[in-house]
Amino acid sequence: MSTNPFMAMKNIKKSFNNVPVLKDVSLTVEHGEIHALLGENGAGKSTLMNILGGVHQPDNGTIYVNGKNAKMTNPRVSQQHGISFIHQELNVVSDLRVYENMFLGSELCNKMGFVKVEEMCKQSSEVLAELGVEINPKEYVRNLDTSYKQLIEISKALLHNSTLIIMDEPTSALAEHEVDRLFELMKNLKKSGVSIIYISHKLKEIKEVCDRYTVLRDGELVGGGSMENENLDTITNLMVGKSVSEDRFVQEHEFGPAALEVNNLTDKEFFNDINFTVHKGEIAGFTGLAGDGRTELFESLFGYRKKYTGEIKINGQVVNISHPKHALKAGLGLVPKDRKENAIIKDLSVVHNMSLSSMAHFEKTGFIQEKVEKSKFQYYKEKLNIKVANPGVTIDKLSGGNQQKVVIAKWLEVNTDIIIFDNPTQGIDVGAKREIYQHIIELAEQGKGVIILSSEAPELLKICHNIHVMYQGEITAEFKGENATEDGIMSYATGSKREVVTIG
Amino acid sequence: MANTERKETNHQTSKSNNPSRLSWLWSEYSVIIAFLIIFIAASIMSPRFLDINNQLNILMHVSIIGIIALGMTVVMLSGGIDLSVGSVLALVGVITVIALNASGSIFVAVLTAFIVGSFAGLLNGLMVAKGKIASFIATLGMMAAARSIALYIADGGSMSGEVSGFTAIANSDLWMIDYPIIIFLIMTACVYILMHKTRFGRYVYAIGSNEKAAVLSAIRVNRVKLGVYSLAGLLVSVAAIIETSRLNSISSSSSGMLYELDAIAAVIIGGTRMTGGKGKIIGTFFGVLILGILNNTMNLMNVSPHLQGLVKGLIIIIAVVFQKRE
Repeated sequence: MSTNPFMAMKNIKKSFNNVPVLKDVSLTVEHGEIHALLGENGAGKSTLMNILGGVHQPDNGTIYVNGKNAKMTNPRVSQQHGISFIHQELNVVSDLRVYENMFLGSELCNKMGFVKVEEMCKQSSEVLAELGVEINPKEYVRNLDTSYKQLIEISKALLHNSTLIIMDEPTSALAEHEVDRLFELMKNLKKSGVSIIYISHKLKEIKEVCDRYTVLRDGELVGGGSMENENLDTITNLMVGKSVSEDRFVQEHEFGPAALEVNNLTDKEFFNDINFTVHKGEIAGFTGLAGDGRTELFESLFGYRKKYTGEIKINGQVVNISHPKHALKAGLGLVPKDRKENAIIKDLSVVHNMSLSSMAHFEKTGFIQEKVEKSKFQYYKEKLNIKVANPGVTIDKLSGGNQQKVVIAKWLEVNTDIIIFDNPTQGIDVGAKREIYQHIIELAEQGKGVIILSSEAPELLKICHNIHVMYQGEITAEFKGENATEDGIMSYATGSKREVVTIG
Repeated sequence: MANTERKETNHQTSKSNNPSRLSWLWSEYSVIIAFLIIFIAASIMSPRFLDINNQLNILMHVSIIGIIALGMTVVMLSGGIDLSVGSVLALVGVITVIALNASGSIFVAVLTAFIVGSFAGLLNGLMVAKGKIASFIATLGMMAAARSIALYIADGGSMSGEVSGFTAIANSDLWMIDYPIIIFLIMTACVYILMHKTRFGRYVYAIGSNEKAAVLSAIRVNRVKLGVYSLAGLLVSVAAIIETSRLNSISSSSSGMLYELDAIAAVIIGGTRMTGGKGKIIGTFFGVLILGILNNTMNLMNVSPHLQGLVKGLIIIIAVVFQKRE
């Protein structure tokens, strides 16, 4: 619009391992504007911002700051140009005081080499006052609310005289009143001439606080403009794209009786009044954005978390689950997300990982029979097409897809009536994904209740009979698989629409 | 990424390839190779070293630390550490002597020892598993407390057994092999089977490697931990019986002093990872032997006892440096 934008990225291209991530993307940010950068997971937003922040180098394209060509060779250079990046995970040290955090890495020292505490406190107070908040600079950061931690990051940016602040999903960890405070602050910053690039999934928030927007999809620039007279549905359509008519894998068939029934499940922190039913032979999907509480919900069902109230029925029986072992006995299995942290035991061999949850199947008079274990693994190796030359190697030597198949084999061996898959295709290549979908569908055809949690709506559209959408700990919508659309799901997941769910 | 990982797998598994086979041998059995090197060096340096009586003497000397180190290995595989072993040994010894003198029965004495030892271990386990106290802190507390109770009961001095026959436990031999050696070998075999052939062992490795994943695999992590620390306590009580029986007395102030350090050293030399999840019982067995040979050789060569700690320290550090490299 204006001829002299504060920052402009022109024709940025970037590939990782010959896979293009950004294809000719341009972005301009004016002085003192809040610019929304939108797109689904994997659209290329983070890559673009990492290029601006000097973390990655573009293959092609130029960046202009104040009309001058700027080469962001490393994060320090980017900071010298007045650009600060506030990551989704806050980089504050909770065991240090507020002022120590704000001056971390650039402490003010006197000639003797001692830090000038009072001077730093004074400057910290000044910056914080500018933002309209009063925090004692000597307070320990761990005693502060998350929103204040964010404030500290923002103040740190201002201390470095930043004129452009990138915020990556800043509200995902904030409560509602904290979000209001953040928005107030952003508007104040805008007035003082600071520009903000705001990355978020939550369209409602964006409508509230942003001036202009840019939408990326699959590494391409698909739209942008002024926020004022834009309809949220239009933007959702831009983000999702029209032509995602991939085939549904799943066959419709008759469900059996209810396998899992959940009534009024509430946890103060993560979810509120959850009600749903999963039948035998049904594949139920749960989706939502970061902070929707779906992982915590199912970890609670599985007995990993205990502080919840409500009723859980499995096969019509009320169950009390306070440890995953109870869940397993009651007939509940869980393939967790974040394989490396939650699912694989990297020092154990592939075979031992497979048998870990069902040791009783391989024991005779208290001793493990390695031969039985191995032959069972051979069975799963062929069934699930696990590629491993020697099953005696530790599991971390396998590729992600094969590791995931071993984890699935582990739960197939336990053979529970209900299996929960949390992000089952995280970090897995396309071929392996397809295989995993097929096994999930096969399980449902055998009459098991299957639950899939995923942040990728298209995945659920392909394989689920029913899709539940969650937003901030509540189920906001329930779709029949064949009726669901991606934008439909998106509008409930972002909180821009809401419906009262009644489950019959 | 996926491709390179798969290549690594192939590389690892192709044992026809000679250099890779050698490195595989080294990574699996480095402690045995180190043992052989030290063994050969010792026999060259001191002609008396190879004497069968000297060999048995070494085994006899390491048997007490060896039995404790077995328990320590299990604790460390689970991701913890047990600093209380030396003090608990003294406490178990003192109470065992009281039970022995009061009842006049060796059987009652041994049973008492087992109960006190595993109860002390259970307390450690409760603090670590239920109380979520770091094992270092919990067992440090137990270390101070157990020693203090032992000193109080024995009034700071030694206690001697008054039942003849109790000394036979540690001072008899079977075809010239002393009982403590036999007990040590049997214990090694038992713990080996427990760790490699039962689900308990499998769970201990899993917990030490990734506790969260172990919980999510429906393993009752807390119960396993209670078992781990109780087992360590039980093995300490076996060591305490031998220690008491050998001289027919136990000193509340000096018995078991610094045993925890020797046991941890043996476990570390044996290749067990400090943070758990990786290591072998056989490794600890040879780690114990290496420490024994070093002590013995230095004694044979008249190295000042004040310098022996230095050599031991160096060996521990060298062992860890080599393990890091893998």
